[in-house]
Amino acid sequence: MIKSIADAIFRWYCHPDYYPDIQGDLEELYAGHLRNNRSFPQVKYCIDVLLLFRPSLIRPLFKDSNSNTIAMFQNYFKISLRALARHKMFTTINVIGLAIGLTSFLLINEYIRFEKSYDSIHKDSDQLHRVSYLRLNQGGQVIDKDAMASYLTGNVLKKELPEVLNYTVTKKFDEVTIRSGQNLFKENGIISADSNFLELFTYEVIYGSKETMFNEPWSLVMTQSRAKAYFGDINPVGETLQVLAPYKAELKVTGVIEDIPDNTHYSFDMLFSDKTLEDGDDYGNWDYNNYYVFLKLVQDTDLVSFTDKANAVFRKFDDNESRKLDVHPVRDIYLKSDFTFEPQVLGSEKIVNFLVIISVFILVVAWVNYVNLSTAIALERAREVGLRKVVGAFKYQLVIQFLCEAFLINFIGACVAFLATELLVPFFNQLIGKTIIVHAWSHLPLIYTLVVFFLLGTFVSGFYPALVLSGFKPIAVLKGKFQNSRGGILTRKVLVVFQFTVSVILIAGTVIVYQQLNYMQTADIGISVDKVIHIQRPNSNAETDEEHEAFISRFDAFKDKLRNHSAILAVGGTSNLPGGDATDINSTTTRTRIIGLTERMDGTTYIQYNDDHFLDAVGMKLVAGRDFDREIRSDSAAVMVNEAYLRRFNLPSLEVAVGETLQFGETEDKGKRKIVGVVKDYNRTTLKSQIEPTVYMPWMNANALVIKFSDTQAIDFVEETWASYFPDVPYGYSFLSERFAKLYEQEERFGNTFLVFAGMAVIIALLGLYGLASFISIQRSKEVGVRKVLGASQGQIIYLFYTYFFKLIGVAAILGIPLIYFLMSSWLDNYAYRIDFPWFISLGALIIVGLLAFFTVAHQTSKVARLNAAHILRSE
Amino acid sequence: MKKYQLGEFEEIVLLTVGVLYNEAYGVAIKQEIENRLKRKVSVGAMQSALRRMEKKGFIDSRLGEVNKLRGGKPKRYFTITAYGRDALRHSQDVRTSLWNDIPKVALDI
Repeated sequence: MIKSIADAIFRWYCHPDYYPDIQGDLEELYAGHLRNNRSFPQVKYCIDVLLLFRPSLIRPLFKDSNSNTIAMFQNYFKISLRALARHKMFTTINVIGLAIGLTSFLLINEYIRFEKSYDSIHKDSDQLHRVSYLRLNQGGQVIDKDAMASYLTGNVLKKELPEVLNYTVTKKFDEVTIRSGQNLFKENGIISADSNFLELFTYEVIYGSKETMFNEPWSLVMTQSRAKAYFGDINPVGETLQVLAPYKAELKVTGVIEDIPDNTHYSFDMLFSDKTLEDGDDYGNWDYNNYYVFLKLVQDTDLVSFTDKANAVFRKFDDNESRKLDVHPVRDIYLKSDFTFEPQVLGSEKIVNFLVIISVFILVVAWVNYVNLSTAIALERAREVGLRKVVGAFKYQLVIQFLCEAFLINFIGACVAFLATELLVPFFNQLIGKTIIVHAWSHLPLIYTLVVFFLLGTFVSGFYPALVLSGFKPIAVLKGKFQNSRGGILTRKVLVVFQFTVSVILIAGTVIVYQQLNYMQTADIGISVDKVIHIQRPNSNAETDEEHEAFISRFDAFKDKLRNHSAILAVGGTSNLPGGDATDINSTTTRTRIIGLTERMDGTTYIQYNDDHFLDAVGMKLVAGRDFDREIRSDSAAVMVNEAYLRRFNLPSLEVAVGETLQFGETEDKGKRKIVGVVKDYNRTTLKSQIEPTVYMPWMNANALVIKFSDTQAIDFVEETWASYFPDVPYGYSFLSERFAKLYEQEERFGNTFLVFAGMAVIIALLGLYGLASFISIQRSKEVGVRKVLGASQGQIIYLFYTYFFKLIGVAAILGIPLIYFLMSSWLDNYAYRIDFPWFISLGALIIVGLLAFFTVAHQTSKVARLNAAHILRSE
Repeated sequence: MKKYQLGEFEEIVLLTVGVLYNEAYGVAIKQEIENRLKRKVSVGAMQSALRRMEKKGFIDSRLGEVNKLRGGKPKRYFTITAYGRDALRHSQDVRTSLWNDIPKVALDI
């Protein structure tokens, strides 16, 4: 058996002329081994076969080595290799350029592939859709898009519409504290799930039964890695855990599922059974949009007509004309959603598009290098071409020859790029902040892309030079009267202008991205987050009113104790810490009015609960009226509003609102609250969003404490005090400024990515420029000689060369600046608060490119300028 | 200029082909070398030397009879060509002249 396989292999690689007799020898030896009872004759046979794999014995690469075409191809490759070896600088510049270009392209391409792969791992992921709410004004225009819907939506749509195959309704929980033995865990990734959840989101179940794991209230399903953190490697089904906050309950583990991949818009660590929520007041109510509702629709459902049908069903239950349903594919959520209250920070299609542009730019700049340099050295190849034509080469044969050269250079470049990609993958993952791929070599799509773009590159970059080079007229060339054609020189200029334009755009783009980032991080957001820490109030867990009272007074005593410390300036409480993401706020979409002053107005009103020290703690300013006061009893029904809220009503001044009554909703005697103060606007979340029209309500026992201090010893004091008041509760604090810094992680990553790849593009362009400058200086050396003989100074020669390049940069500037304006303005438009378009930065980018070009060309130019005219002209 | 490109192993194979005159085929050559040199010779190394020398023109080959023992495959017999003979002579001459020029003292160890 082994022997016959070995023989088949041998027959495959052995030269057919040699095969019969050598194989005969092997058989004879094998028979000899058998006869002499030698051990392992088959293995010996195999070893012999392996050792026979030698260059002099193997089958020639091309079947019919006598064919003329094959011989010519071999010759082309030989000539190409020699040409590349002769023009070492040309080869090096091109290989480096193509390698950098392809590497950048591959990495960015993988990133884009990853960004586009969100939520596509589920079975039938194209059939998964989400139902969300649109808020309409009276004219029927959409004024607000809320990713969440009410609990009933899923059930009703499934019952009424045959297109809905299945549905699931899920809710995201705030932080939950779980105790396991002596350990406390703060879990931020908990969502609720019903028994359909895993039918739509087809994560693999490792332990437990998919059908029953969500049947009981307080059932818990965890991902594998969380299960490991709690229970180690055992099967945890049946184990119990204690929830401490925000509820007190016992959880039973009913299942373990695989870890959730990075590329989902709705990631989680744990699932609470949906039954747990049954007693919640939002469970059977159309007015609470607290749930994400997912549907699985029949394949190829027309979304437009389905949405209309869904709305018709919705109308039967909710006759409120001010809202309607929107149905959109789950796979589009990550990149395309413009809804508020998304479960987590989403990606940006704009950033993806920007990166596509950058990656294509880089690759094209690298190709342009090849075109430029290979046409620039055309003069040196002209004689070869002339002679080949004289001895009978057809034009197409020469085209093939030069394509072979392009193929070789691109091939070497692709090999280097592949190695570089493999080496750079970890750094790239770090830059992007996600693990996109682990290895280049084991990632097939990457290899396909590499092969496709390497072949494409061969043709795109090789075709024009091949045409030019093969088009030379042999008579002119061999007579020595050959000149570079005007058309060729023009093409080269156009291409150089293109490279400069790309460089200018990318440099200016990078600077603008960083400027906007810097602006957002340092802008005056209306509050001061310096020297402010925040901690989470312990949960009361009181079962009786007395217990609750006791807890509250303990909490108040804790706050007072802190306030008495000399280094602590203020201790305030709030429901929603500043610096949260867009969803970290309460809101209502009922219409509101100020009684006596305004009509009822549409629009989402955001609601935050503060205590009477919150303004001091974060340095928020009052512009009219007063802060809450816990001594005034009626303040429990008071509100403060911000300027953005009042702007909605176009009041003559902010002061007139103070003392008036604000009313939520349409019912005459309900929802009335007295406005006691107006606060200055501040940016609660990123500067991407506008300041939200907000109403502040009093909550003296608010759950998030913000502590403003003047000296860092206060931090230790807070911890000590905490330990004496709440010894059973884990303590943790963080800085408010860090919350804000985190908001801009995505922008920061984008900035860094932009910087790296812009740098790559510029390096490639400069490499090309260097090569071009050196070829041009060689070709024009005779001209320089003559000029020198006629009295030109070194300075004049240098000037001559620089004007050549700087004219090109000038053209690039004229083209580049409008393009920068167009591209970057569209990016800046993403931000509600943005820098003005910085014209001077575009100029700065130009100057940078000019300087870089200046230094790149300097070496070559000064070398030519210093040449001795006698040496150059000697040969004439 | 190198007149004859004859490696050390090639030379041994070539000499053996001469020794086995008319009976020099793969297995025979291999066994002869193994017997005389007391060392193992792989089929690969030997065949590759034979084909190289055939290309250079040191040896000729002809296919011989088919043999059942060999799974119905013919033997290929090798014979030295005149050019091969010259190469061997040249190699021998070089060695002889080197031998002759060694001072007696040098080997008197």
